[in-house]
Amino acid sequence: MITNLITMNGYGLYVWLSFSVVFISCAVVYFKTRKTLKKYEKEFLTELQALTLEEKNKALENSKVAQQILTTSSKVN
Amino acid sequence: MFKFFSPSNIYPLIQKLIKFINSIFFLILLIGLTFALVLSPTDYLQGDAVRIMYVHVPSAWIGLACFSLITFLSVLNFIFKIKNFYFVNKSIAPIGLLFTCLAIVTGSLWGQPTWGTWWAWDARLTSMLALMMFYIFYILTFKLLKREELIIKVSSIIAIIGSINLPIIKYSVEWWATLHQPASIKITGSNSIHSEMMLPLMVMLLVFLLYAALIFLMKYKTEIIRIKKKNIKRN
Repeated sequence: MITNLITMNGYGLYVWLSFSVVFISCAVVYFKTRKTLKKYEKEFLTELQALTLEEKNKALENSKVAQQILTTSSKVN
Repeated sequence: MFKFFSPSNIYPLIQKLIKFINSIFFLILLIGLTFALVLSPTDYLQGDAVRIMYVHVPSAWIGLACFSLITFLSVLNFIFKIKNFYFVNKSIAPIGLLFTCLAIVTGSLWGQPTWGTWWAWDARLTSMLALMMFYIFYILTFKLLKREELIIKVSSIIAIIGSINLPIIKYSVEWWATLHQPASIKITGSNSIHSEMMLPLMVMLLVFLLYAALIFLMKYKTEIIRIKKKNIKRN
């Protein structure tokens, strides 16, 4: 049964290559997207932390997104 | 109504959706792969090569669906000037390009054992290649142009011109004599595909849709953070 699964009655090369191309491409795009997201989150936090306390509070008051990012990062840390 | 879809309101929902998709994705992927590679029957003509269908067809469908959505949102953006749609389109385009490329590559890998050739300048294949080119031009506008208004204008024009290609892709197998087989699954009318093959196809479509949604949410979240980062600098 395992031999059959690998050879696919002579079509194994085409079937496995198709599935591999799809899953490798999808994995590369996923990890690249995640890396970019993490980079932007980190940069955003660095800039937020560089503000004075007053500016920081103002930014957090005005932006729900800033509050969310700060909450998520504190959970992670 | 459009205010509800503002990035600030959507952001907390994005977090939850990403977590939800991550929690169910691998289970559905495992079920899909088991069906597609082990449990589904072989075709009486194509043998095991038919299993390529489970990655080729969902890829092509999502490639087409993404471009249709981009066109629809571009038209809405043109009429109502909703900037949020621009960020949505920017996040969808790379997903559409990925799946269109995958449809072309897996189609080529399916073509060799069934038609005896990797590529033919046939109407369906050529129109899919044209779709890939439209995606590339669309994405290039974001990379090459600097002014946002100009990007919106140029990318919308590309999307609207590219949308002419969508019915050509859909009906190419009926309008011209092509190597590609006619559609086996129709929204209206009977399907010529057996339920034992239809089920794995639908599960694999769900896997691909979940993956596309996950990438879209991550890219859209990145866009929101990028805008907020700019605003912090301005303040």
